[in-house]
Amino acid sequence: MASISINPGDNTLETPGQRAALVTGSNTYQSVTDKVCLLAEKPRIPPMYFVALGISVIWLIILKFCIIYLLTTGVGVWGNMSPVFWGWPIVNFVFWVGIGHAGTLISAILFLFRQNWRTGINRAAEAMTIFAVVCAGLFPGIHIGRVWFAYWLFPLPNTMLLWPQFRSPLLWDVFAVSTYATVSLLFWYMGMIPDLATFRDRATSRVRQIVYGVLSLGWTGSARNWSRYEKAYLLLAALATPLVLSVHTIVSFDFAVSQLPGWHTTIFPPYFVAGAVFSGFAMVATLLVPARVLCGLEEIITIRHLENMCKIMLATGTIVGYAYAMEFFIAWYGGNPYEQFAFVNRAFGPYWWAYWTMVSCNVISPQFFWIKWCRTTPWFMVIICIFINIGMWFERFVITVTSLSRDFLPSSWGYFKPTMIDVLMLIGSFGLFFTLFLLFCRLLPVVAMAEVKSVMPPHSDEEPERVYNPVH
Amino acid sequence: MAHHGQPIPVENPGTLEQNVGQLGLFAMYTGAIGLLIAGLIAVTSNNWERFQFSYLHNFCFVLSISLGALFFILIQHLTRAGWSTVVRRLAEMMTNGIVPLAVLFVPIIFLLLNGSDVLFLWNNKELAATDPLLVHKQIYLNPMWFTVRAVVYFAFWILCSRYYLMTSAKQDITGDPQLSLRMERYSAVSLILFALSITFASVDWIMSLDPRWFSTIIGVYYFANANVAFYATLAIVVYFANSKGLLNGTVNAEHRHDIGKLLFGFNCFWAYIAFSQYLLYWYANIPEETMWYMRRQENGWELVSMILIVGHFAIPFLGMMSRTVKRNPTQLFCWAVYLLIMCWIDLYWLIIPEVSPGTPAPGLIDLGCLVGIGGFFVFGAVKLSEQFTVLAVKDPRLQESLAFHNI
Repeated sequence: MASISINPGDNTLETPGQRAALVTGSNTYQSVTDKVCLLAEKPRIPPMYFVALGISVIWLIILKFCIIYLLTTGVGVWGNMSPVFWGWPIVNFVFWVGIGHAGTLISAILFLFRQNWRTGINRAAEAMTIFAVVCAGLFPGIHIGRVWFAYWLFPLPNTMLLWPQFRSPLLWDVFAVSTYATVSLLFWYMGMIPDLATFRDRATSRVRQIVYGVLSLGWTGSARNWSRYEKAYLLLAALATPLVLSVHTIVSFDFAVSQLPGWHTTIFPPYFVAGAVFSGFAMVATLLVPARVLCGLEEIITIRHLENMCKIMLATGTIVGYAYAMEFFIAWYGGNPYEQFAFVNRAFGPYWWAYWTMVSCNVISPQFFWIKWCRTTPWFMVIICIFINIGMWFERFVITVTSLSRDFLPSSWGYFKPTMIDVLMLIGSFGLFFTLFLLFCRLLPVVAMAEVKSVMPPHSDEEPERVYNPVH
Repeated sequence: MAHHGQPIPVENPGTLEQNVGQLGLFAMYTGAIGLLIAGLIAVTSNNWERFQFSYLHNFCFVLSISLGALFFILIQHLTRAGWSTVVRRLAEMMTNGIVPLAVLFVPIIFLLLNGSDVLFLWNNKELAATDPLLVHKQIYLNPMWFTVRAVVYFAFWILCSRYYLMTSAKQDITGDPQLSLRMERYSAVSLILFALSITFASVDWIMSLDPRWFSTIIGVYYFANANVAFYATLAIVVYFANSKGLLNGTVNAEHRHDIGKLLFGFNCFWAYIAFSQYLLYWYANIPEETMWYMRRQENGWELVSMILIVGHFAIPFLGMMSRTVKRNPTQLFCWAVYLLIMCWIDLYWLIIPEVSPGTPAPGLIDLGCLVGIGGFFVFGAVKLSEQFTVLAVKDPRLQESLAFHNI
């Protein structure tokens, strides 16, 4: 293996032929472990943590009451009404599923592409993925109205010979999302086993010893353990890679298989996937910028990691911009008056404000990332990322609502208005998401310690000389 | 494997001219003979129309290899890739093939400007004035604007690929790492221009053959195909170069493995894009969209469609999955040749049904055009690259590439 010495200092600069350090400061294997375990083992938690958790839990409780109100009253409490029967619930569903794409992309696809920098962020991103999928799964579940029949979504043999419509992409969604959730969960958990064993070994209380002991499945750290682990990781990565694409592809089919202008276009599958990765990375960055400060992980989740994420956002945001442009071009080129109307209506109809919010947030705001200062200044990055998340929510709103509110028959046109319950449930879903994420930060290893050590210079505990092996 | 800090010695493998000598001229003569034979057959069998379509088909096929190569170079620089340095020069040389292709596009433009509607139905004056759809599109689909666009595409492709080759060649002498940084800096903007040019080129040269049909994904489709064609070609070139000792053994199983993985991955990507387009049009079943597929599902074309599903996707998906296949020189070579043929069939399926909805009957005209355009492409790639070494000998990332190994 070739060894390449490391650029000291700013790790966002890289001289060709040398690779920048992924862990900065004078960290050793031991200090990485100490830092990552700190929040989980700290006897005194920073008050900020409780403030954040408190706010999140309050919104979670509000979400819970909204759901009870919805179930006892009926779906009429939402703004869904003719002609817009797919309102915010589906918008929120697609939004959250999209967010849930970054984690598995980082852990599977970036792994296959040997992007070693992913080791600093993959654990938190995977956790975020799972929590986002939980939020996403919530909306179709309660959207069906009679939630006690939710199991009918699955093709269960029954005496009435009643089956779901196999030709509907909505059913494919059930399979796609549940498969994705299962594999992501497995991937996350399996990757965590060596770190859970570290928690177990460092545990001081009996309860922690037992809980982390059970979770770490008897991990000893032997060569055989590692060999099996690495093989399983590679296999899961290969299996998860098509899943990253399939989920949002099938979500895009929900729209694109129809004949509705604005929905039926062939670029939807790759465009949705790019948009999902885009929004997922924006959410990861939004969470990690404060989390790395709160948990004291600035030397492990470095500016270089954040900069790389910004570059991915710039790339995927530009792909999304390309898709918007192609849709417009082909709507004109195809010469179909209904298709043309759908797009003119989006940009200049009653929902013009939503459309231009979407374009400015999704296409224009990531262009700031061409500038290095914007990519390496955390607070600025968070602002852009929040804009991106707003833009991606609006994208789904624009797609869903504009096409439905004005279809082929002008006499049936309408204007969608959300109710207070719609708004509260959207914010409430963020409460659920942040509650889960904050609990994760407190209870589980936020950074994949074992993987980070694999990209640190060898013998970090002994040698002060920095030598780094670029291929692990 | 080298050990810490010790650079792996690498001998200068010499320039392309020292290595392959007369290949360029040989390819040019073969190409000329190929085109001549195809032309003669077309004239004697009074099949001029078929010749033009075949010419366009093989033109798009050969061009896709160079465009795939250009994309490869840009993305390697953008991502600061280390593994690929040993094969990057080969890709840079392949992009030189765009120059003769630009010349070979002149006859198409010439015919178009002279009012020929054989290839492009929208150039039929009468139809363009009466058919409401064509009237609508005339602002975009007209010979003048079409020519301007083609000039812009070729100008960008040639300038961009020359810039990357020349800068990299300059580094062979100076070894200046700043040049790598400069190439990296330009790669992002170049990629955007590349995306736009390949998209509109495929709209113009492939989609507009049926001026009534449209699909937003057509650019991505051709892009996917171009990548498969390029990685297949790269694997083939590496095989021959290695068997002739041209690369001094710098390219080994590890690099083959990565080329194989990318070939496999982009082939799956192609299938994904092709499936997305088909499923959405099949499902919605709107006549103006399905008519394009209908033409490819009757009169023998259904067989070609099946060949693509099974041969372009299912068989290589299962066959290339194994690690051994990608690392073994002969096996990878065979799969690369196979997939290159599949890419050719794919473009055949995209372009030729527009002329002969009768039956798919590849014949000597197709072969002649393939040899002809392919020959000129090889001529350009070799002749214009003669003075350059086949390896980027002073690239700062060369050591990383030499020492690279898969886990």
